[in-house]
Amino acid sequence: MSENKNKILTTANNLRWKVADDFHDSLMESLYLDASKIAGLAISKTSEKERFNLDKKIDRLVTNRITGIPIMFLLLTLVFWLTIVGSNYPSAMLASFFLDTVHPWLKEGAFTIGLPLWLTGISVDGAYLASAWVVSVMLPPMAIFFPLFTLLEDFGYLPRVAFNMDNIFRRVGAHGKQALTMSMGFGCNAAGIVATRIIDSPRERLIAIITNNFSLCNGRWPTQILIATIFIGSAVPAHLAGLVSAGAVVFVAVLGIFFSLAVSWGLSKTILKGEASAFSLELPPYRPPRILQTLYTSLIDRTIFVLWRAIIFAVPAGIVIWLVSNVTINDVSLAKYFIDFSNPFGLLLGLNGVILLAYIIAIPANEIVIPTILMLTVMVTGIVHVGEGAGVMFELESTAATGDLLYAGGWTLLTGINLMIFSLLHNPCSTTIYTIYKETGSIKWSAISTIIPIVMGLVLCFIITQIYRIIIM
Amino acid sequence: MVDPVNALMVFGFIVIGLTALFITQKKIVNNIRRTQNDKMKMHVEDALKHIYDCEYKNMGCTLHSIAGNLSISSDKAAKVIAKLESLKLIMNDPDKIKLTDEGRKYALQVIRIHRIWETYLADETSKDELEWHDDAELMEHTISSEEADRLAASIGNPLRDPHGDPIPSETGDIPELEGQQLNTLDEGDTARIVHLEDEPAAVYKNLVSQGLHVGMDITVNKRDKEEVLFESEGVSRSIPPVYAANVTVVKFEASIKPESYKKLSNLKIGEKGKVIGISKACRGQQRRRLMDLGIVPGTVVSAEMVSSGGDPVAYLIRGATIALRKSQSEKIYIEERLSEVSN
Repeated sequence: MSENKNKILTTANNLRWKVADDFHDSLMESLYLDASKIAGLAISKTSEKERFNLDKKIDRLVTNRITGIPIMFLLLTLVFWLTIVGSNYPSAMLASFFLDTVHPWLKEGAFTIGLPLWLTGISVDGAYLASAWVVSVMLPPMAIFFPLFTLLEDFGYLPRVAFNMDNIFRRVGAHGKQALTMSMGFGCNAAGIVATRIIDSPRERLIAIITNNFSLCNGRWPTQILIATIFIGSAVPAHLAGLVSAGAVVFVAVLGIFFSLAVSWGLSKTILKGEASAFSLELPPYRPPRILQTLYTSLIDRTIFVLWRAIIFAVPAGIVIWLVSNVTINDVSLAKYFIDFSNPFGLLLGLNGVILLAYIIAIPANEIVIPTILMLTVMVTGIVHVGEGAGVMFELESTAATGDLLYAGGWTLLTGINLMIFSLLHNPCSTTIYTIYKETGSIKWSAISTIIPIVMGLVLCFIITQIYRIIIM
Repeated sequence: MVDPVNALMVFGFIVIGLTALFITQKKIVNNIRRTQNDKMKMHVEDALKHIYDCEYKNMGCTLHSIAGNLSISSDKAAKVIAKLESLKLIMNDPDKIKLTDEGRKYALQVIRIHRIWETYLADETSKDELEWHDDAELMEHTISSEEADRLAASIGNPLRDPHGDPIPSETGDIPELEGQQLNTLDEGDTARIVHLEDEPAAVYKNLVSQGLHVGMDITVNKRDKEEVLFESEGVSRSIPPVYAANVTVVKFEASIKPESYKKLSNLKIGEKGKVIGISKACRGQQRRRLMDLGIVPGTVVSAEMVSSGGDPVAYLIRGATIALRKSQSEKIYIEERLSEVSN
């Protein structure tokens, strides 16, 4: 029996050398031949010429050397503009409901039933407030941005963007579709990383995942705008303030795109060499978008999905934020210890201890970084009549009042510039890190995606600070 | 406050230190691995490979050729030979070093791992051809033959490595050497490249930069002491005869002429062409992807539109519009342009 088996195996092995090297190819070819024969018997084509011609006309316009890129910028700008403008009102409404109505009401309720103060602090001021905050600032922009983006995708336009942009991304070792996941990242990095599933080449997909954090997400735009208005706007003549601070924000976003491409290039030349790469890009025919289906899928698959993850991370973070501000040793809170300890390091980077602590404890979402900074600043400076108390995040109605508070906390133009840079270049929020882990299934890639931007941010802030000090002194 | 100039200087030193560490790190790691792996084992295996290669190509093998091939002193080479003898892997006849059956089996095992690893790098990673060899040189002493078997199975038990060398089977079978060196062809001969020697690296680099690859059909136009001039894929190329000796070809019968073909990248917008095949230089995932998309002999492909950056170009393939980069479309061969072909 086994003798026979060996005989057969030896014969097979010897025969292998006689088969041409490309017999896998021949096999595939014969499959296609048979399939097309069968298909030819069964399929009759009705004339689809007209549809096809319209497709060609649109394609000629959107992939044109001259009109292609401007059309893309116009459409994407329109999407962002609609998102920012459209989310203002619902955000304010949600905030006034969750933060100004429900929050005091919960506190009162807790007081009435005689809950101990620390429990109220942890649950209402910590866990509830953080997650309510995340919902009210994250939900509206996402609920507008994702459906709009999905509509463009459904219509068939986005593959054309990838087609046009591939030339640039090819040069840095990436895939044209990264232009899409990058744009998605401007809405939310976690969603951008989920969207990298459209990239079907392993190396290029990893590049897109690791560099997505360089797209300035929804949670960071407001920070950029606020800080630019307060610090950059006030450094130039009043009539230029609006223009210059808007320019500064755009500059930071463009800087993010630049870093995204630079890091893509670096990754493809070094640590991602061992990954396979295979390019292909299908340009599907245009079709009228299915509005209802788009709304449903983009709300459920993208908005709710990301929001849910954010809430899950916001709850423990809210508790931590409250605890570090309220647990004291020798009458000094843990937060104060850390801030005093890290302040020299923060100042060396042109930041301060408050900012460093805020970025650590507000890791679940970039949206709660500024409220945390304000709360900590009030706590450290001991200013009275501002804020809601230790461990309770808040935001001020007017930009000017926020500015006054930050100046009182020892902030300068340099702190403002560095915060804008650090807001662009720091570790992704925990929701995003978790999403990277889920998508890649690898601790290594999650760690790399976390470490690269934060090291870049620390180094860049450090260099800016030293140069600034040399010039000013 | 820390003086900014001092701070920048300290930072600069740290960066220089880290860069230096990064550059030397690879070497250090390799050295550590080598000592762990026992240098003698490495030399023994490399020497076996070399002796096997000599026998395969019917060349004499001496102590000096071993020393040269392994880049070690003659003294050291003598020690290696003594070790091989004591392990009964070779018979040291006075005039010639010969492998024993045991030695041949061992050599084939090392060669098998080397070639499987090269094939794996070519098919499943983005490392370029100039890195394959050095990487495999290290791996052949590191991974076990069971691991190599599993790796081979996962990439479809390849028959030949990317340079065209046959991969010995698990039982150590290997076909006879075939073909002749490119510099022995006459003017007007047509042939197919079956092997590119990857050592020495400098010559291989030159051949690769000329665009040569296994599976390429060539026609020799001129051959003299200075150069071998030949045409392939519609381009005229010239290499020195010494370099041509590192290229093995199989001559076509005089009556057979290689098919004349164009590349897909030569198609202008609106033109159609029929696919003849995909170049052997396109391997692994990339090749499978193209075939999955329906790029197989007989498929009619038409160029549809150019992206605003000039590259990629979209082609209509079996009813779907697919964008391909230039680096891909120039590896797809098509029949002479057909302005009107019915689908």
